[in-house]
Amino acid sequence: MHVRVTVDASEHPSYDPHHHPLWWGVLGAVAIEAAVVATLLTSYFYLALQSPAWPPEGVDPPDLLWPTIVLCLLPASSWTMWWAGKGSDAGRKRQLAIGVTASVAIASLALVARSVQFTELDIRWDDHAYGSMLWTITGFHYTHIVSAILGTAVVSVLAWRGYFTPERQLGVVVDTLYWYFVAAVFLPIYLVLYWVPRVLS
Amino acid sequence: MTDATPALDLRERTDDEGRERLARIERTWASPTGFLGWFMPVNHTAIGRRFIVTSFVFFLLSGVLALAMRLQLLVPLNDLLTPDQYNQIMTVHGTAMMFLFAIPAMEGVAIYVAPLMIGARDMAFPRLNAFGYYVYLIGGSAFFLSLFLGMAPAAGWFNYVPLSNKEFAPGYGVDIWTTMITFIEVSALTAAVELIVTIFKLRAPGMSLNRLPIFVWAVLVMSFMMLFAMPSVIVASAMLMMDRLVDTQFFVTEGGGSPLLWQHLFWFFGHPEVYIILVPALGIVTTIIVTFTQRPVFGYTALVLAMVGIGMVSFGLWVHHMYTTGLPLMGRSFFMAASSMIAIPSGVQVYCWIATMWGAKIRFATPMLFVLCFFAVFIAGGLTGVMVASVPFDRQVHDSYFVVAHFHYVLVGGAVFPLMAGLYYWFPKMTGRMMSERLGWWSALLIFLGFNLTFFPMHQLGLEGMPRRVYTYVPEMGWQFLNQLATAGSFVLAAGFGLTLINAIRSVFCGEVAGDNPWNATTLEWATASPPLNSNFPQPPVIDSHTPIWDWQQDDERPVVGGLRDDRRETLVTTLLDARPAMVQVLPGPTPWPFVSAVAASVGFIGLIFSPWFYVVGILAVFATFVLWFWPRHPYREE
Repeated sequence: MHVRVTVDASEHPSYDPHHHPLWWGVLGAVAIEAAVVATLLTSYFYLALQSPAWPPEGVDPPDLLWPTIVLCLLPASSWTMWWAGKGSDAGRKRQLAIGVTASVAIASLALVARSVQFTELDIRWDDHAYGSMLWTITGFHYTHIVSAILGTAVVSVLAWRGYFTPERQLGVVVDTLYWYFVAAVFLPIYLVLYWVPRVLS
Repeated sequence: MTDATPALDLRERTDDEGRERLARIERTWASPTGFLGWFMPVNHTAIGRRFIVTSFVFFLLSGVLALAMRLQLLVPLNDLLTPDQYNQIMTVHGTAMMFLFAIPAMEGVAIYVAPLMIGARDMAFPRLNAFGYYVYLIGGSAFFLSLFLGMAPAAGWFNYVPLSNKEFAPGYGVDIWTTMITFIEVSALTAAVELIVTIFKLRAPGMSLNRLPIFVWAVLVMSFMMLFAMPSVIVASAMLMMDRLVDTQFFVTEGGGSPLLWQHLFWFFGHPEVYIILVPALGIVTTIIVTFTQRPVFGYTALVLAMVGIGMVSFGLWVHHMYTTGLPLMGRSFFMAASSMIAIPSGVQVYCWIATMWGAKIRFATPMLFVLCFFAVFIAGGLTGVMVASVPFDRQVHDSYFVVAHFHYVLVGGAVFPLMAGLYYWFPKMTGRMMSERLGWWSALLIFLGFNLTFFPMHQLGLEGMPRRVYTYVPEMGWQFLNQLATAGSFVLAAGFGLTLINAIRSVFCGEVAGDNPWNATTLEWATASPPLNSNFPQPPVIDSHTPIWDWQQDDERPVVGGLRDDRRETLVTTLLDARPAMVQVLPGPTPWPFVSAVAASVGFIGLIFSPWFYVVGILAVFATFVLWFWPRHPYREE
């Protein structure tokens, strides 16, 4: 059979962040994790509506101070990620390196705040289903911050070594996308874990 | 560059330059051989084949377990198996058939066929694909091994609490269930993301969404359903894992938890799961009907919308597994209506198939034969489905053998018959050889008769009150005759599957050589050699219709993509809706890291059976291997 070349692949670039399959792949990972968070929060409400008191008698809702600090720190670290990406687009390697390192630093502060908060919870995970939910959802988000920090730390090492160029910065783009998700998903968690018990009781 | 002078297909060229170029492309896409090479391939054909073979091994093993159950039920008060052995065998049979056979088999067919059908050279994330396979292999083997160690789960495939709580299910059985199921679902999720992105972005130029083959649409719907259904069972089993391991109180009533939460979460996954298996099967059926009637499908748009509709509605049905749990009347009525609604898109499909076959000259080869069996069995299962969707009827037959009969008709009818059809249909593509038609006919006949002999009497047993999951019954109940029929049928059924196994093994070695396109099908997997070339398509095709191969045969000309490099793995990325060329993706070659990562993840998950600290160990180990996996390889500057 004869063939006729009607599409020439060599006309097309080998890097384009908005067409790259990996960008879509991270979007898929984000969809899965969003579904996990939605399931956890739905379970929270399901158990809350079944219980006579939520939180149970004699247990205070978690303190607002530390979570609110985390709520401010995560968007701040997202902004530095965005700023780093701008630098990378323009070929300013230093701005990229400083930006991602700053994000890792700010998120590590958030992790410290998160850790302190664990010690101040008024209930253990094995006391009551309320405690189980609280610890699990907090722990789940904690794991996400840890994995985002670890991943971005690797990106920052590569950035300081000058690996990324405007044509080769897919790692930065997808890492940023995941980072935004970790920051954004805290908002519904924050509202449900820290405000819903106050509104319900 | 539009070349006006026709050139010969690279595979048909006999001049030195043509042959050398083909050899160069094939070397670039080759998988390593040898023992160490086994841990390294990333090509979707290699991974897909492994998924299919492994899932059929689990199918055979689980089938043997079913025979053991049928032997135990042959006579009243039989003591072939102890109650605990029976429970373990029953649990492993159900769990393995669903999680280790049905889903991975569909994934395997999808991973093997879908990229070929869309004219891609590989999938979007070849290494992730390999990772998913090793996870499935290790998780599935560990799960099955528990049976031989006598510590298998024994709480049924849906593992209801409180039966599966620490109090009523001591030992490691349920822990093995929760950890290994979560682990295997990770593999399913990687496959889902992989398939979605591949179908969205790696289609041949010109294959706009409205030219996507029906099977690929089915795979797309299946993958989206996995994406949103699997997290639910992962959360549920993680909660149960924690309840048993660190004394959380999610499902413990005294601690403010709720056993019903398990049922909601499980069935929010479990019901879509049935359709996750069914939808790709519908795609297989449609593909085969098109090929064996040699005409384009009737009602393409209606078929696609019906599949998308089934996918969506299936998320609103889960409560019909819970009619007897004391739900409010309003809730039951809503889910009864929703459950009946699924009959509408299913009906649309059946009418489209009938219209496609109407007046066509149908070729009755073995794949088509299995499709006809599928019609009979699946429609019977659908009818009992409409019956149990109704609340008053369901409350009568709930937890009886009627339900066992119903779901075997739906699952075996809806998934196994189409899979067998698909096996006979794509076997020549995968191995380059045809399967024996004569053995195929006998196999189809025995499977059809054996299946009905096994499961039809169970309807009556259920109506006579025989509860499911019992390990024996007393002679006074009068259930003996029908049970004996069922047991006899199960051996006929097994013989039928045995024939196909013999057929497959024999045909690999001495089947008739198939050629590129033995069925004269029209989808792109038949536009490459059998078995497919390493690169799938040395010159990827360009599409402008639903029936590309038939059109090329008319024109005696094939439009192709040029300008891809021969010395690295390049594939064309196209836009989401219209499949216009957008960029070139460079895919990774063979690598052992996915295997190493899968082993690290296995250590974490298997450790979780025994200690919560393996959560931390697992995360760090997986992270370390991921860094090594993704670390840019020198010299990266030449790209």
